[in-house]
This record gives sequence, structure tokens and C-alpha cells, in this order.
Amino acid sequence: MMKLETLPRRAVSVGLAGLSLALIAAFGDPEHFWPSYLFAHLFWLGLSIGSAAVVMLHHLTGGRWGFAIRRVLEAGARTIPLMAVLFVPIFFGLSHLYEWTHAEVVAADEVLRHKSRYLNVPFFSLRAVLYFVVWIALAHLVTKWSYGQDRTGDPRLSQRIRTLAGPGLVLYGGTITFAAVDWVMSLEPHWYSTIYGIKFILGQVLTAFAAAILLAAWLSRTRPLSEIATSDAFHDLGNLLLAFVMLWAYVTFSQFLIIWSGNLPEEIPWYLRRTQGRWEVVAGLMVVFHFLIPFLLLLSRAVKRNVRTLAALSGMILIMRVVDLYWIIMPAFEERGIGLHWSNAAAFFGIGGLWFALWAREAARHELIPVHDLGGLGERASHG
Amino acid sequence: MSEEKGPRVEMATPFDPRAAILAPGHTYASITDKISALVLTRRTPRGWFLGFTIAFLLLMLLLFTAAYLLATGVGIWGVTVPVGWGFDIINFVWWIGIGHAGTLISAILLLLRQRWRTSINRFAEAMTLFAVACAGLYPLLHMGRPWLFYWLLPYPNTMGTWPQPRSPLVWDVFAITTYATVSFLFWFIGLIPDLATLRDRARRRFWRILYGFLAMGWRGSARHWARYEMAYLLLAGLATPLVVSVHTVVSFDFAISIIPGWHATIFPPYFVAGAIYSGFAMVVTLAIPLRKFYELEDFITMKHLDNMAKIMLATGLIVGYGYMMEAFMAWYSGNPYERYMILNRLRGPYAPVYWALLVCNVGVLQALWSARVRRNVRALFAIALVVNVGMWLERFVIVVTSLHRDFLPSSWGMYRPTIFDWTMFLGSIGLFLTLMFLFIRLLPVISIFEMRALLPETAPTPGGGTMRPAEAPTTS
Repeated sequence: MMKLETLPRRAVSVGLAGLSLALIAAFGDPEHFWPSYLFAHLFWLGLSIGSAAVVMLHHLTGGRWGFAIRRVLEAGARTIPLMAVLFVPIFFGLSHLYEWTHAEVVAADEVLRHKSRYLNVPFFSLRAVLYFVVWIALAHLVTKWSYGQDRTGDPRLSQRIRTLAGPGLVLYGGTITFAAVDWVMSLEPHWYSTIYGIKFILGQVLTAFAAAILLAAWLSRTRPLSEIATSDAFHDLGNLLLAFVMLWAYVTFSQFLIIWSGNLPEEIPWYLRRTQGRWEVVAGLMVVFHFLIPFLLLLSRAVKRNVRTLAALSGMILIMRVVDLYWIIMPAFEERGIGLHWSNAAAFFGIGGLWFALWAREAARHELIPVHDLGGLGERASHG
Repeated sequence: MSEEKGPRVEMATPFDPRAAILAPGHTYASITDKISALVLTRRTPRGWFLGFTIAFLLLMLLLFTAAYLLATGVGIWGVTVPVGWGFDIINFVWWIGIGHAGTLISAILLLLRQRWRTSINRFAEAMTLFAVACAGLYPLLHMGRPWLFYWLLPYPNTMGTWPQPRSPLVWDVFAITTYATVSFLFWFIGLIPDLATLRDRARRRFWRILYGFLAMGWRGSARHWARYEMAYLLLAGLATPLVVSVHTVVSFDFAISIIPGWHATIFPPYFVAGAIYSGFAMVVTLAIPLRKFYELEDFITMKHLDNMAKIMLATGLIVGYGYMMEAFMAWYSGNPYERYMILNRLRGPYAPVYWALLVCNVGVLQALWSARVRRNVRALFAIALVVNVGMWLERFVIVVTSLHRDFLPSSWGMYRPTIFDWTMFLGSIGLFLTLMFLFIRLLPVISIFEMRALLPETAPTPGGGTMRPAEAPTTS
């Protein structure tokens, strides 16, 4: 069985191999490479900032569920600087990705001319920098204070994180919304939907939750995490996973129903592109594997209390998160004949490898449980 | 409910009065005495008669308006082309929204094991029922011929017609009747053990028979309690989707159309958040006078007000996010009708209403970031009132500004509510308050047995641990 300490080295080799392959694509086949890279980056970035959001949410609300996955999520939040560095290449691929970067296309299109005050490269870049500054600052402070508490045991640090978490979540909601508009919605620059930001927020939080359950299940085979990651904790996590699966389905279905019933020429093409040909199968898979099966299984107490079944289910949800993001991003390039391509996997595993390497390094450097901030679980775990 | 408890973080000693959900110094007997006395022994305060009289007069206003409406027709209201939906739908959405806090407190907070819900759930649930009753009046009366309301239901009939299944108005019929039914069952089942307490304590024969009849033979045996808890949990599970579904369907009434300002994908979550926001504002509006006049500060503590203020802040911020996305996307869309819709809200004839709603729902709300404001009863009461008004204005803006200027300038018009729109609105507030006053007088406003179950938390046992509620005696 793999150990946390040996994970970084293996993950780095996977990451470097993937990125080298992706680099070949970048020069040989840039039309395929850039969508792949954007998709891969947004998935892993979503996991990073989703982790930061769940950590802040737990600081704000408390509850037994959060202590078992706190350190897993914090390590995830620490990967945001890496994702910022990996975002830099995207600035060089803007013209391959976004129609609105082409002056002649914009000049010929009245709607795009109107939008050029928002969708232009300087403002786009400025906003991207701003988003990353906000995310890095939030993740840095929240994790620094939490790790610091392991050393000093100062309860005021918890209070400080709590004070930051409220405004932090507001900032997170605002930045991720506009990031979703900038990076994904503007791939199809005529289309718009007001629920889009919420859909992304819930998608990222669900991704972070599923990943955290999976990783906590793996790490809880040994002490110290096994002390607090009990079946009670997994039961609570399973309930929350169910809630987020339902919320995701709720906003996804709401958007679909409203656009379908309106059937307006500027809105419906988004769904037409995503339900034609092979994409219809993908959409059907999501109904079954992203909603129906997790929903029905997570109603069962036995499934939630058993670490193995819950972890398997989280793994399935995580795979469906990848599929969902692929389904959201890739059909935008369909008209240019860009679809499934080996560079999808290369970029995905390339960035993912580096992500995991950093995650594992951060997770191994600190205690796996927040020893001085365990709420009512404290006595049992620290003296056990 | 009693087997699984969250981390017992809140039970920390030494006792922190700000974190208490039940003031110290109470015994099982004192809780029962204090709450049941409101109904059984205490003299009805003069303020109650005064309040009830005012509420009852307003209710009469509703009856006169409704009678005149049925005799004359909906033409007495200000609704006309192009604004065919006016106060009736505004008030309908407003009241339905208010009802949501009760369901959220009783169902979702129960499932999340938020024990502070205990002292506010009873009257919040009653508030839900009365608000749904007020809401239901409007679509019924707007039909013009309310005695034919059953045409809304799909049943085989000689006319050979069915309601249009693609219309969210038809979904509304199912959503709201289900909601009203489940809310009533939830409230009534929760009342049964307390009705038995009242039966046992009532001195006059009439009340003993009445409460005894309603208590349905409750004896408080272990088997009764086991079944009761099972039923209550199952109902909570059933009621949870209703918190989301009802206002989602109400939002579809608007969003399924293609009118700019109505056809927005954010409407479902934004309406649900707005409903919970306005509902909690109403619970705070009712709880603060209630705890003051009936000296219930021991039971509805600062902790309750603080928590409710936090929920208002969270849901209000989501509502603010909704306003932001509506405005941003209208501009970003590049669609001239969408852009005009938001410009018309900002600068058109109803602009003062739009700005007022932003101040009420987003501006004033920011004060709740401060713990000092949240713990200042008067400030909180004022903010809750402002939010109640703001949420009404929000529905006014959504309904009226989108309809009065649509795609064709030649079909534009203005909406002016008539005196009967106002009397109908005031009258429904009268109905709500009348029912509320009767409820306060005739039934225990706070759940007696659930408060008793909280008691062990305020009284640490000598061993340093705390007695679990399940071990505490729960019958009288």
C-alpha cells in the first residue's frame, strides 16, 4: 500500500510525464492542446479553491464532520499558488481559446462589440491576477493560522479564522463567479446564464468534498486520523455529500428547465451543442451517475457509515465531476472539430500529478488532525 | 433524535450566558409552569386584547374587501393590461416566503441537530401555517370565481379538459397544497404531547375535554414516545424538500416565461434564499415582542436571536448576490431588452422602489456583521422590520417593473394599486395577526417537552459530564 511520504515522488513523475506529453501537443497541435489544458487546469483549480471554501465553511458552522477532513482540505488549499503558476501559460493561449480575442470577429459582431468593455485581454488578465491574489491570501491565512495552532495551541487563532471565514466566503463566492464567467462562459461569448456562478461554486465544493472523503478514508487507516475519522464522522460527511449532490442536481436542472422552456435563440444553443450526438450520451450518464445512483445510495445509512462504500461512491462522484466539467467546456469547441484527444489525458494527469505531489507534501508536513481545535472530539483524540 | 447527538461542544462549562439556549436555574416543573401558564392560568394581558382588536378589525377589512371583490369582480384592483399581475401575486409570494422559516426551523434544523431551534420552532411553524393561509387567499380570489378552484386539479371531467401540465401555475397548486398539508401535520404532531400536558393541567371541564380531544389519547408511555419520535423524524425528512420545492416552483411562475427580468436562471435558488431571509425576519419580528411581553427571555435567549440574525445575514447576502447577478448579466448579455430592464429599474418610474429595496435588503443588512448589533434587541427588531418591508418591495419590483414595459413601447403602461389592493393587503396582515393572537392565547407558544429535554444542558452533573436528554424524564 502506498504511503503519504512516498506519494510526492511518484506523483511528480506522473505529472512531469503528463506535462511533457502535453508540451508536445502544445507545439504540434495547439488547437487541441489549449482546450485540454484549460479543462485540466480548471478541474484541479476547482479542487484547490473548493477545499479552501469548505475549510472556511467548517470554521463558520462547526460540526463533527469537519475535523476529520480539515487537514486534507487545508493541504488542498495550499496548492492554490501552484495553480496560479500553472495558469500563466493560459495567457499565451488566449487567442486559441477565446473568440472574443480576435479583433476582426468582435468588429463584425454587435453583441461582442458591446461585451468588449468586459471581455478584453488587459481587463481579463487584471481580473485573473486579482482572483488569484484573493484566493492565495485567503488560503494562506486560514492554513497558516490553523497550522500555527498546532504549535502554540492558542485558541484565539480559531477565533481569528472564524472572523476571516465570513468575509472570506463572500469574497470566494464573488471571485469564483466572475472567474467562471471569464474563463468558461466566455468560451461561448453570446451565451449567458445568471445561475452559472452558483453552479460552479457547488461543483467545486462537491469536488472538494468527494476528494476529501476519499483521501481521509485512505489516511484514516492509521493513527492519528483513525481516532477522529470514525464511522460517525463518515456518516455526517455522507449526509453532507448527499446534500451537495442534491444541490448540484437542483441548480443544474433549474438552469436546464428554464432555458429549455424559454427556448430562446441566444440561450438554447448551449444545450443543443451539449445534447447532440455523443454529448447526449454524456448528459445521460450524468443524470444516472452524478445524480440518481449517488442519491439513492447515499440515502442508506449503511453505505454512509461504511468507509469503503462511502469512499467508492466519492470516487465515482469525483469521476463524474471530471465528466461534468468536460461536458461544460469541450462542446464549446465542437464547431471547430475539437473533441476527445490524447492531450486531454496528458494535461489532466500532468497537472494532477503536480497537484498531488504538492498536496501530499503539505499533508505530510503537518499533523493530520488539528490537535488543538477538535471541538467536543478533543479529549478522545488527543489523550487516546 | 435522541440516539445521535452532535459533538457536545456547546455544553462546555463554565457556563457562558451568551451561548445559552435555556437560561440557568430552571427545573422541569418551572418550565412546564411558565409555558402552560400563558394559556391556562395567567390573566390575559390588556395588550393582548388591544392587539387582538386591531388585528380583528383588519381581518374585517379583508372580509369586506373580499365580499366586494366577489360581488363586483377583480376590476376593483389595479391590475390591467399590461400589468396583469399586481398586488395579488406580490402578496402571494411575500406570504409564501415568510412561511419558509417555520419549515426550515422545524425540519432542516432538526435534521442538522441544531438544538437551539427548540424554543422557536412551535410559533415559527404556526407562523408558517398562517402565512400559507394568507398566501393561498390571493390566487383563489384572483380567479374571480374561487368556487371553481377545483378546475385547477387534474380530474376526468365532462368538459374534456385538463390543466396544462407544462404550466408552473399548475405545479403551484400541488406544491402549495402539499406544503400546507405537511406543515399542518408537522405542527399538530409536535403539539400532541403538549396538548396532553394542557389537558392534565386545565381546571375547567370544557378545556379539559377540548385539549383532551386534540391530544388524541396521549398518555406519554414509552411506546408513544418511540412512535412519536419516529413520526416526527419522518415528517422532518418529508418537509425538507418542501422548503426548497415550494419557492422554486413559485420562482418558475416567473422564470419559465421569456419576459426580461423574469426569465433568469438564478431565480430558483435566489427565491428560496429570499424566502428564508424574509421568513427569519418575520420570526425575529414576532419573537422579540413575544419574549418581552410574556417574559420569555429565559427560553428565547440572546443566542437564539444571534443565530437567527446570522441566518438572516447569510441568506440576505445570497439575495444580494442574486441582485448583483441579475444586473451584471443584463449588462453582460448585450441583449437590448435585458439591458433596458435593468436600466428601467435603476432610472425608470419605479426607480425609488428599486433603490429602497436595495437599501432595505442589502444595505441595512450589513449591520448584522457586528456581534454588538446582533445582540442589541432593538436594533435587531428594527432591521427585521426593514427586511420585511424590503422583501415586499423586491416582489413589487420583480412583478411590476418587468410587466409594465416589455418588448414593445406601444404596449407600455403603468400600474397603480387601488384602495382595494391596499385593504386586501392590510386585511391579510389582519388575518395573520388574528390567527397569531389566538394561537398565543390558546396553545403553548413554546414546546414544553422539548424545552424540558434541554434542561440537563444547563445543569452540569457533579461528575463534570452532562446528562443526556434521552436519560431525562420527558413526561409530566
